[in-house]
Amino acid sequence: MNTGQIISGVGHLALLAVAVFGGAFRSEPLPFEVTEVTAISAEDYAALVDGPRAPEAVANVDTPDPPAAGEGTPEMTSTADAAPDLSRPDATETPPPDATPEAVDQIPVPEAEVSDEPPVLEPPQEDMAALVPEVSPRPQQRPSPRVAPEPVAPPEPDVEIDDVERQDTTPDEDAAETVEEDTQATAPEEAATEIVTEAEEADVASAAPSRSVRPRTRPARPEPSEQETATSAQPQTDESAVNDALAEALGQAGGAEEGAPSGPPLTAGEKDALRVAVQNCWNVGSLSSEALRTTVVVGVTMGEDAKPVVGSIEMISASGGNGAAAKQAFEAARRAIIRCGASGYDLPKDKYDYWRDIEMTFNPEKMRIK
Amino acid sequence: MMQNILTLLAALMLWVAPASAQDGPLRIEITEGVIEPLPFAAPDFVSDSATGAEYGRRIADVIAADLSGTGLFREIQPDAFISRVTSFSSPVQFADWKAINAQALITGAVSVDDAGKLVVRFRLYDVFAGQELGQGLQLVGTQDGWRRIAHKVADQVYSRITGEDPYFDSRVVFVAESGPKDQRAKRLAIMDYDGANVSYLTDSSSIVLAPRFSPNGDRVLYTSYETGFPRIYLLQVGTAQRRVLDTQEGTMSFAPRFGPDGRTVVYSLSRGGNTDLYRMDIDSGASTRLTNAPSIETAPSFSPDGSQIVFESDRSGSPQLYIMPAGGGEAQRISFGQGRYGTPVWSPRGDLIAFTKQSKGRFHIGVMRTDGSEERLLTASFLDEGPTWSPNGRVIMFTRETQGAQGSASLYTVDITGRNLRKVPTDTGASDPSWSPLQE
Repeated sequence: MNTGQIISGVGHLALLAVAVFGGAFRSEPLPFEVTEVTAISAEDYAALVDGPRAPEAVANVDTPDPPAAGEGTPEMTSTADAAPDLSRPDATETPPPDATPEAVDQIPVPEAEVSDEPPVLEPPQEDMAALVPEVSPRPQQRPSPRVAPEPVAPPEPDVEIDDVERQDTTPDEDAAETVEEDTQATAPEEAATEIVTEAEEADVASAAPSRSVRPRTRPARPEPSEQETATSAQPQTDESAVNDALAEALGQAGGAEEGAPSGPPLTAGEKDALRVAVQNCWNVGSLSSEALRTTVVVGVTMGEDAKPVVGSIEMISASGGNGAAAKQAFEAARRAIIRCGASGYDLPKDKYDYWRDIEMTFNPEKMRIK
Repeated sequence: MMQNILTLLAALMLWVAPASAQDGPLRIEITEGVIEPLPFAAPDFVSDSATGAEYGRRIADVIAADLSGTGLFREIQPDAFISRVTSFSSPVQFADWKAINAQALITGAVSVDDAGKLVVRFRLYDVFAGQELGQGLQLVGTQDGWRRIAHKVADQVYSRITGEDPYFDSRVVFVAESGPKDQRAKRLAIMDYDGANVSYLTDSSSIVLAPRFSPNGDRVLYTSYETGFPRIYLLQVGTAQRRVLDTQEGTMSFAPRFGPDGRTVVYSLSRGGNTDLYRMDIDSGASTRLTNAPSIETAPSFSPDGSQIVFESDRSGSPQLYIMPAGGGEAQRISFGQGRYGTPVWSPRGDLIAFTKQSKGRFHIGVMRTDGSEERLLTASFLDEGPTWSPNGRVIMFTRETQGAQGSASLYTVDITGRNLRKVPTDTGASDPSWSPLQE
């Protein structure tokens, strides 16, 4: 053994001693869980195990014995019905015939209006299901979505090389003046007067179904007059555009319903003034307890002088009381409407269309005897 | 740029305008009104004869007094009239009545037929609607009974306008009092609800208390000290004949009240210092004990359907109100406010119980729901007691006694709203009223 091996052996031994006795292999104790248990006796365990047991299934149910053959038929205890009494009933005096009612004037039958012209038949609605093509064609270029006051034609296509050779043109030397070139740097961007959608594009073979349910017919819009057409063709100023937009907005608001009033509706203050005017005459002091539990909705038509049309006042609905109470409540409401409207309510005449027909709900909940 | 902004604003309005647009008729809700008497005009009923004209004037006056006395109507004085009703069948000049703000108009005619009977016709109009309320009506009666005819007309008007059941054609039995407090003479009397037509049913030789009408108004129960002890008597109103109810000897019986069937009486019986409630069948005289407690149980009153009894008891230490089944059984206390409660009376409508309450040295007439909720005190004075309901359950009559040695008892009425407190005119002092049902 040479010196080197000795030194190496001693060094390894020393290293092993340090590792073993120095605590390099010492490990921390593992965490453990403590569970409380209760020791029970063997008898208790047996009692627990033998406790509630599932009920045993009863598989064999005795089938009742069939009745013995030859059992006597039960005796018939009923007796034959007695023959019905066929004696004829006593004849009674024939009642006198009913008096012939007096003839009344016949109600004339209205003549039917008959026309020789054949009725115009509306084309039947096609409710067939649409067929969707299996293959979607390639999408095509969409037109420009830009909108400008004046339509601008699309730019010319790029120069194509013609098959026929042509000579270059030379300026006419005889020309006295030189024609100036167009100073416009670029062509205006492509634009159209309206946005053309795919649905409106006639020659776009889109993936839309070739057949679809025909939309329901609408009432035909009135044809625009020539004057309107001419006016719309003229360039519009800023003010007219705004005015048209306002008119369109208000027109749509009023046009939501056929025959609906136009113009601005009543303000909250104007409605409050009407309500206060009516409630000043709504006297519930003479109403019964039952009527004071009844809410009635009363409809009234107003004249242009803001006076109620007495004959138009009617009870639309009532809730909370019986019929007699509703009648009393309605009569009190009617008195209020007529009495305080005798000289006309304070309503804006330019909004007559809005207050011509009024529904007033008379709710006496706050006036009830507590 | 400017154009874009304006266009944007216009588009905004386009969006807002439909939202504020009115859909259908204008709709408003009225939740508050006024509570005031309804003005009416009752011109004298027309007649072709002087006798009929005199009755026509009196009848119109009674009708006006009946309606005005409710506090729900206000009479327009005749000197304010523009139109004169000269014929019952002439068309009504509504404009003239509108001009004086008459909301209701009563017209009528009086005639005397060959048999001497009074024939009264009337119509009621809603002036502002310009139409008749209900149909015209004709009443026939004796000339002596003209007041009843007038009450009948007023009942029709009241009922048609308010929707309430009427109550003018009714009577009141009460204790008429005279003399100083320490030597006060008391006797039973009966009168119209408005204090007219007083007649006496007993003399003043003995003290009488707490008369109570039968459900159809033909009999009266009351308590008398004629024998020295309080006993219950049954009196026929038409003949004034009376008899004592067979209660146990050596006992004191008092506070009787009829059951809704008219054949049952519930009352208090005191024996050996203990007072309990009993029930008796009038025809057979058989009685049943309803309570058995060492406390004092008294002032029983049937519910309109006869299934329950409300009464007063001090079993809790102070007089309070209790409800029990009509056949006896467990009682349930319904009064829990401060003070002492007594003399409960069930409303003819069945929804309320009127009572007397003593609190902080004052007496009150009040009402509460049958479960004791929503207690409301309608009056307050030195001494208010003994409420009785009008036939329609809308008005309460009670006794009010003034303070001092010269104090006297009077009858008052008050609406169940607590409004319209009125004194009933009587020639003498009056107490312990009992309101009859509406007369047939």
